[in-house]
Amino acid sequence: MTKLACTFFLCCFLFIACTNGNEKNRDQTEKKPDTAIVHTPPANPYAPIDISPMDMSYFPVNYSQLKMTHDLTTPPVMRVIYSRPHRQGRTIFGNLLKYGERWRLGANEASEIEFFQNVTIQDKKVNAGRYVIYCIPYQDKWTIVLNNDLYSWGLKIDSTKDLVQFEIPIKKTTVDFEYFTMVFQPITHGAELVMAWDDTEGRLPINFQETR
Amino acid sequence: MKQITLLALLIISVLVGTSQTNNLPPVDKSPMDMCYYPGNYPVLKIQDKITEPAVARVIYSRPQKNGRLIFGELVEYGKVWRLGANEATEIEFFKAVKIGDKKVEKGRYTLYAIPMESSWTIILNKDNDTWGAFKYDEQKDVLRTTVPVQKLNEAVEALAMTFEKSDSGCNLIIAWDNIKASLPISLK
Repeated sequence: MTKLACTFFLCCFLFIACTNGNEKNRDQTEKKPDTAIVHTPPANPYAPIDISPMDMSYFPVNYSQLKMTHDLTTPPVMRVIYSRPHRQGRTIFGNLLKYGERWRLGANEASEIEFFQNVTIQDKKVNAGRYVIYCIPYQDKWTIVLNNDLYSWGLKIDSTKDLVQFEIPIKKTTVDFEYFTMVFQPITHGAELVMAWDDTEGRLPINFQETR
Repeated sequence: MKQITLLALLIISVLVGTSQTNNLPPVDKSPMDMCYYPGNYPVLKIQDKITEPAVARVIYSRPQKNGRLIFGELVEYGKVWRLGANEATEIEFFKAVKIGDKKVEKGRYTLYAIPMESSWTIILNKDNDTWGAFKYDEQKDVLRTTVPVQKLNEAVEALAMTFEKSDSGCNLIIAWDNIKASLPISLK
């Protein structure tokens, strides 16, 4: 009888231990790879590390890495340089970012897109060059604006220097994006600039002559 | 059987769909940063406090010390070092400048260094949009100049670059761990 009771308790113990283990595992696997815990970086007397780190995306995707492994003879088509704010539990669209108001598509320095060749966006020609890129989000669409006021800080946008604007549809994403993300993805005759944050993404199609 | 196959296909397509969305880039552990001369140029610009046009900016990624000994160990003496992480470090001049006795035209350059114990050779190279120093090509150098280094009392955790004003223009300060180098840039 005691043997039976012992076996029973041992089984219970093992069962609980295992479930706890599973619980832990599940917590780990459910953590989204795009989610980072906010921590304060150590002080730096010359230049502190920013809480919204800067990042850069090229098209062709990973151009600079490709250059290491391939003899690339063509220059990149474009690149975007932006800072990556994080959501930190906030509702972004319609809350932190008000509908109908200009949003800098990033943080800190104004986000910058550079075309190394002429491109066409929604049938409008955009000359090779460097532009500030920003957005006016609405509930059902975004307006994406290219602007000539370079080397500026994103909080104050001089709209008298707007060059051209485009309306793009938006959609809900299947995963939430903790950090604002911009990246290029190839499409026929060009690439899309994907802009994703929280549960929303917009895609700006950019067409260009392929030179290979 | 058919139902099971359909279910399996559905599950696979959902998984593939999720992983593609997740395929967008995570935040890097050596974050990118940017500095201008004049310092904080973009902030001054929106505050209408600009007294001179932008002269230079550096875009670099910031590796962390993480308890490691950096110079002479992680970064070996006498070897070309990418002065950053990930994408090669880029310096851009918005107007022609002088470094040492050499005129440097307006434009974008890749920045490298060869650290030694008491001095660094700073390299400007014209092979842009590249990754690290893995494909560094000396043929594409625009200039090399050697600058002394200074020991710091307190270690700098993340590689840091910043410009400071000087009599002839500005200095690009580069600091990591307990070493600081300064590259004089003449605007005259």
